[in-house]
Amino acid sequence: MKPIANWLTGLGLLLCLGAAHGFNLGQELRNAASELQKPDKSSRLGGYSEEEETAIGRQIAGSLLGAAPLVKDQQLQKYVNNVGRWVASQSERPDLAWHFGVIESQDINAFAAPGGYIFVTRGLYRLLDNEAELAGVLAHEIGHVIRKHHLKILQQSKLVDLGGKLLAKQVGGDEKIHNLIGSGAEIVSRSLDKNAEFEADRIAVVLAARAGYDAFGLPEVLQEIGHSAAGNSGSVALLFKTHPHPDERLTKLGDAVGSNFDGLKGLTLANRFYRLKP
Amino acid sequence: MTHTTRYFLLAALLLAMPTAYAGESGAAVKADELKTEPFRDAKTVGKLTSGDKVEILKKDGGWFQVKSTRGNGWVRMLSIRRGEARKTSTGSEITGLAGLASGRAGTGRVVATTGIRGLNEEELKAAKFNEAELKRAESSLTSRAEAKKFAAKGKLTARKLDYLPDPEQGEQP
Repeated sequence: MKPIANWLTGLGLLLCLGAAHGFNLGQELRNAASELQKPDKSSRLGGYSEEEETAIGRQIAGSLLGAAPLVKDQQLQKYVNNVGRWVASQSERPDLAWHFGVIESQDINAFAAPGGYIFVTRGLYRLLDNEAELAGVLAHEIGHVIRKHHLKILQQSKLVDLGGKLLAKQVGGDEKIHNLIGSGAEIVSRSLDKNAEFEADRIAVVLAARAGYDAFGLPEVLQEIGHSAAGNSGSVALLFKTHPHPDERLTKLGDAVGSNFDGLKGLTLANRFYRLKP
Repeated sequence: MTHTTRYFLLAALLLAMPTAYAGESGAAVKADELKTEPFRDAKTVGKLTSGDKVEILKKDGGWFQVKSTRGNGWVRMLSIRRGEARKTSTGSEITGLAGLASGRAGTGRVVATTGIRGLNEEELKAAKFNEAELKRAESSLTSRAEAKKFAAKGKLTARKLDYLPDPEQGEQP
């Protein structure tokens, strides 16, 4: 395969809360800010309703798409949704409204936002050789969503309560919120805990295998990213900044897998893999 | 079978297989056994120690078929790193981080010819929420039932498998 990209995911958070209009924002912010002063608020982890989670994820996804729109290929987008939804169906959140997409960027990366919004860059997609590799990359991002890794860091930043409250009222964003919590990029450039990445890798190989795929699609992509020419270019700068080096991830994954998957066979479906038009 | 014949067949096989690695180099990153077949119970033909160089011939599931001075056989792919040497990856990592530190990351790429933007921090920061594009993304939603049909078409079968515990914590995920 070719390389990877997934990893990236983490990123996703772009939180941009961004854009809303029209209600008494100032008062809302003051109310929300006073809520934050209560000591029990900041310790609540992952305690968002699915509606709040989706509202936060929508904001992040919409902002990411503002930076990099979808690749204009409806067949590709549908294909990625088919693969992603099948893999997500093997997780403990099979009924979330999962959305997947390929975005216009030569960077090698992938992003996940709360609520099940997952995007892979064209640069990463191009490195893939078969459906099992795509499944592995998407499964890593699915791992972040089901374990609510991004919601947790948002919460730690004490922005989440505020953001969720406002977003639940009105999907959109506002310049004032934007100023308050920082732009989406600030969040995206923040790394998840290394252990969250290793956990997502362990989840990824299992979800891919549960879905009937070769479990080693993600490790293949990581190998590629770690050692290919792509791995030496600026296209992985953000990925490498926000994730442990692929070699380290492979080592951790190797320790976790051990001989567990020795007898496990799965499909790669290289023939069915949707190839990007040049 | 003579060696010549065997190599000839191997070459033919390699040509036919999409996952052939055609002699890509790699190195063992941990000690592991070389097996006659890509199975745990297969006969052990040798042992690799960390740092041993190998030539990767092909892949089968989680296994690489390799040639090495310790013998030829199959080894778990996660015990091997592709590429010349570890310092290659370290070097690229340093380059990447140095690029970021100097603020040049993501700006030296040739993207002007395609008009496709990169995703560096400045670009993400400047991004505006795009409702239309988000709706387009949401319009491609695949239902659970649809996904099941898609899987069946590819002969994918769901199976049960436990999550892997974190080896450092010994905790159950």
